[in-house]
Amino acid sequence: MQVRRLTTPVFLALGALGALLAIELYYTAFASAARNTRLAKEAGLVRALGLTDTALFTEARYTRHPALADLNTPFQDHPMGFDHFPSGTIVPVPDLPGNGWLIFQPEAKK
Amino acid sequence: MTPWLRRQRALADYTLASLARRKGKNIALVAVYAIVVFVLASAMFFAASLRLETSAVLRDAPEVTVQKITMGRQDLIDGAVADEIGKIRGVTSAKPRLWGYYYDRIVGANYTVMVPDDPEMIPEPGSVIVGEGIPRARGFKWSGAPLFLSRYEGDLKRFNVARAFESDSALMTSDLMLMNETDFRDFFEIPAGLYTDVVATVRNPNEVATIVEKGSNALPQMRFVTRSDIERTYQKLFDWREGLLAALAAAGILAFVIFAAEKASGLSAEEMREIGILKAVGWDTRDVIAMKLWEGGLVSLGAFLLGTVTAFAHVFFFGAPLFAPILKGWAVIYPDFALAPHVDGLELLTLALLTIVPYIAATLVPIWRVASGDPDAVMR
Amino acid sequence: MITLTSVTKLYNEGRPNEVQALKGIDLEIARDAITVLKGPSGSGKTTLLSIVACMARPTTGRVTLDGEVVSGLPERFLTELRRTTFGFVFQRFNLIRGLSVIENVMLPAAPLGGDHATVRERALERLAALDLADKATMPVEFLSGGETQRAAIARALINDAPIVIADEPTANLDTELTMRFLEIVRALRAEGKTVIMTSHDPRIWDAEGVDAVVEMRDGAIFGEFA
Repeated sequence: MQVRRLTTPVFLALGALGALLAIELYYTAFASAARNTRLAKEAGLVRALGLTDTALFTEARYTRHPALADLNTPFQDHPMGFDHFPSGTIVPVPDLPGNGWLIFQPEAKK
Repeated sequence: MTPWLRRQRALADYTLASLARRKGKNIALVAVYAIVVFVLASAMFFAASLRLETSAVLRDAPEVTVQKITMGRQDLIDGAVADEIGKIRGVTSAKPRLWGYYYDRIVGANYTVMVPDDPEMIPEPGSVIVGEGIPRARGFKWSGAPLFLSRYEGDLKRFNVARAFESDSALMTSDLMLMNETDFRDFFEIPAGLYTDVVATVRNPNEVATIVEKGSNALPQMRFVTRSDIERTYQKLFDWREGLLAALAAAGILAFVIFAAEKASGLSAEEMREIGILKAVGWDTRDVIAMKLWEGGLVSLGAFLLGTVTAFAHVFFFGAPLFAPILKGWAVIYPDFALAPHVDGLELLTLALLTIVPYIAATLVPIWRVASGDPDAVMR
Repeated sequence: MITLTSVTKLYNEGRPNEVQALKGIDLEIARDAITVLKGPSGSGKTTLLSIVACMARPTTGRVTLDGEVVSGLPERFLTELRRTTFGFVFQRFNLIRGLSVIENVMLPAAPLGGDHATVRERALERLAALDLADKATMPVEFLSGGETQRAAIARALINDAPIVIADEPTANLDTELTMRFLEIVRALRAEGKTVIMTSHDPRIWDAEGVDAVVEMRDGAIFGEFA
């Protein structure tokens, strides 16, 4: 007569999940060579074109080019604006006045 | 199998048999727990991958970008500024750039229009090189279809699409449109000699600060953006994004904590009686605690593995469909890119510890006193 | 031989609800015998039984088992003794609800790390001997009163303890089931086990095969009969 042992199916399931995780991690390691080639190619493009930002959000200047946005400009493209929700909420509000420092405010930078 | 292993397995058997008595409730518990882990792990994988991608790629961004500020706004910059910056010691090259935005009223999308510096990238007059997002936004059915751009009512300008960037680089180039300089000046009506900004390369990256200082003394109306500013912006951006998702998940975590505390720590009279019985039939305090460790461990490990494995598949195999709406926002052009799998081992370990340890603690703490009580309590 | 020397037991010591459950008990319980502790409820039978079975420590006094002092042993050794020497049948049987009969029977063996299949065979043999083989995989709450008791007996015997202890075993049984229980006890005796029971049921004291009856009242021994 058999008595149920719940550890058998549960351990098997956990083992299977663990194996899946291991496969995923192995896949990550395996894919990294291809990724590095692609990234090198992309980096070459960035160098050739002098790109500064990702094309993730194309709706406003400060979301498209956070690095070069007019953070010093009054009333323009302020990230607190709701007009570009939700990306406007995902792109952080710059800690003004600071990050986008003005050349005549060198103390603010420091 | 050693007696130690057999003992552990027997204890695990008991704990599972006793969990199986409230199968629905416990499966729901593992499921809710796994969902919380799934959201956190998805955010983690997503952010780690984007962070890797951008930091690897932006390492090659221009070291210094110079913008002219007029009345608090960025203005067109004179090409002569490039020469002045080029004269600063330590600057290897300084080039003026032409780039800007074009709002495509037909599809309601913004394009970034650039004049490339690299001769290989410069398209012939009358043609453009586009990122993968533009033909997609325009709904081009065949390659080689001409691109008509309209600046105002009644205006229509035709460009041939020389080629499109591969979607491999979509994260950076999705909305790009490359033109040659003549076409650009003509299209945007920019007088000769004026540019958008100036980019400079520097021989020794350690000198950037000095160069910026010298430059800003010589050209006080200019704004200098360095590559470390850019990198900092992006690190912040992804930390913020991950933090935002973590904050969203926090509500879920809180709900789960209440649920788990009720489940794990609220020792019912029934459970206390059962522990008394176990003690009375010859279980040690250590056996009871080991049994409870199994309970907490199996539930939390199961939830962790389930959440992590599905989160990995969600982000890297299916392209994070649950996050896409948040990230896409109102963007008409969203880059069609596959995130390269990247797992930060330390972050994964942190997630594992954060999900497994507190749950085990929540199951163990209330049991401690009961488990060390006198076994004869059950006879009274 | 189990010897108790001036054993007292206080519950809730030092608090207003302090109860003296045992008042200086001197008693010898023979091995290879069936001993019954009789007396009204509240007379200290169960307390005495739990002290004999190493489930509780006496407040003062000494308990020896086969010549060894057990009353001062640390918790770990007491657990060891409970596992290997004593098998319990509780008054309310104390089976764990929701688990099957065989899972309940195998419980005391779990911490010992024995081979699962061997323990299972042993459990099935015990259940077969007690006519419960066909109910082995049934949840315990579906058993009748007599079956529940026999499952509890099977659990008490799983580790082959030489001393079987039963607290008010027949409190909830009708005459037929009581007779059945006594048969089982005599069979255990025939196997060479020592049986110690508490009861206020005359059917038990007068039963054939009972070697000694100890009468208790108000935490003290009132009389001993052979």
